Amino acid sequence: MVSRTSLTIATAAGACALALGVTVTPAAADSDDKAMVSVFHGVPGLTVDVYANGDELLGDFKPGTVTDPQPLDAGTYDIQVFEAGKGPEGEPAIEKKIEVPAGANATVAAHLSADGTPQLTAFVNDVSKVDAGKARLTVRHVAAAPAVDVRAGGQPVFKGLENPKEQLTEVEAGSVSADVVAAGTDTVVIGPADLDLKEGTGNVVYAWGSAEDKNLALATQTFGGMETTPQAVHAGGNGAAVSANSSGEWMAWAAAGGTVALSLLVARRFSGRRV
Amino acid sequence: MSENARRGAARTSALIPLAVAAALLTGCSTAGPDAPPVDFGSTAGAPAPATATAAPARFAAPERVLVPAVGLDARIRPVGVTADGAVAVPADPGRAGWYRFGPEPGSARGSAVLVGHVDGETGALGEFAALYDVRPGDRVEVRRTGAEPVVYRVVSRTTVSKDDLPSSVFRRTGAPVLTLVTCAPPFVPERGGYQANLVVTARPLEA
Repeated sequence: MVSRTSLTIATAAGACALALGVTVTPAAADSDDKAMVSVFHGVPGLTVDVYANGDELLGDFKPGTVTDPQPLDAGTYDIQVFEAGKGPEGEPAIEKKIEVPAGANATVAAHLSADGTPQLTAFVNDVSKVDAGKARLTVRHVAAAPAVDVRAGGQPVFKGLENPKEQLTEVEAGSVSADVVAAGTDTVVIGPADLDLKEGTGNVVYAWGSAEDKNLALATQTFGGMETTPQAVHAGGNGAAVSANSSGEWMAWAAAGGTVALSLLVARRFSGRRV
Repeated sequence: MSENARRGAARTSALIPLAVAAALLTGCSTAGPDAPPVDFGSTAGAPAPATATAAPARFAAPERVLVPAVGLDARIRPVGVTADGAVAVPADPGRAGWYRFGPEPGSARGSAVLVGHVDGETGALGEFAALYDVRPGDRVEVRRTGAEPVVYRVVSRTTVSKDDLPSSVFRRTGAPVLTLVTCAPPFVPERGGYQANLVVTARPLEA
């Protein structure tokens, strides 16, 4: 399951993890099941308070930060985002009903639409296992900007990604230098930034901010515990270790001892041990 | 005579008649030439939890593994996985690989895995072939870059079908162990060679 959330901002901002209030209950509970929910704030220049069904979920939430995943009852939440201190009586900066399905791992992102309007989008996080040696890389376009391509080590990984969509893939674990370019061009709009994609982790990169305001940035959310074991260990060659002693000396011993070579071959394996 | 030299001599000639007798007495002669080394010790059950007092060890890369009692001495390089998802065992049978996605030797928890070829494609015996001769209590030393060596004692050896290599070999939690893996008979060329893995488990030497 999700073990931790970390935050890496390419351009600015400090890491900050906030705990979600767990007293909030859904308007209509679907079941007793829980979902794991985190919240990403990607609206530049606006410190906010987040309310769910009229109760404060997060206070003093700064742009570019993401909360640790917290268990929430599955159900529908009326999410309201207020400028810090302005809620809950005033007019919310953003408001949306968000469906939180049982068993899901979701991140609710407060961000700008492609044309710069604040909005809320719920993303489901893929926390399924990855192959040994791999890491999962997800990029979410939540910036006021046109479609982009994402490159890692200079190679395109995702193409034509639009707000508010995501694309994901499994990549070789390790450190990569990533950047974001305007779709179909070599015009870098964010980065390059070093991403440390640890084996067995899921790494969600948010491209957020506003192209017009020249504050596009990356934020990263990391999920752990998705590792699997290697398929096998093939540690043999041409069989020398089982046949090396089958000739010469051993045949002589066999003849001398009046014993079949097979027994001697077995014996060889015991000869180095206490008997 | 040193332990190493004594066992080395045993391997070549001196104890053969005795060994033959032992093999016959234990009934192993029926196993044929492709019998793997005998198992010992127990790796069964859930690993004990790591001791709470274990200090958080700073990472240090392993560079050499030695099992003096059997003459094993191999340089180590970090390895990952191949395209088909197997551990990328160093092609040189004189080398050992450390599975770099798992814990490192000296880690406070989990199984640090070292792999090595039992023999090479050219017929050379691998350093890890010496694992066929280890016994309980044998000392295993892993030298590290920029840190003190870590010392383990062999507690078990098991032979498992390659298809059934336990996932616990690669566990990243639980009590710290060093796990050495190589190949073991039967050797079936038409089925890709060795059909089994030899798994040697060693526990940290109590300080």
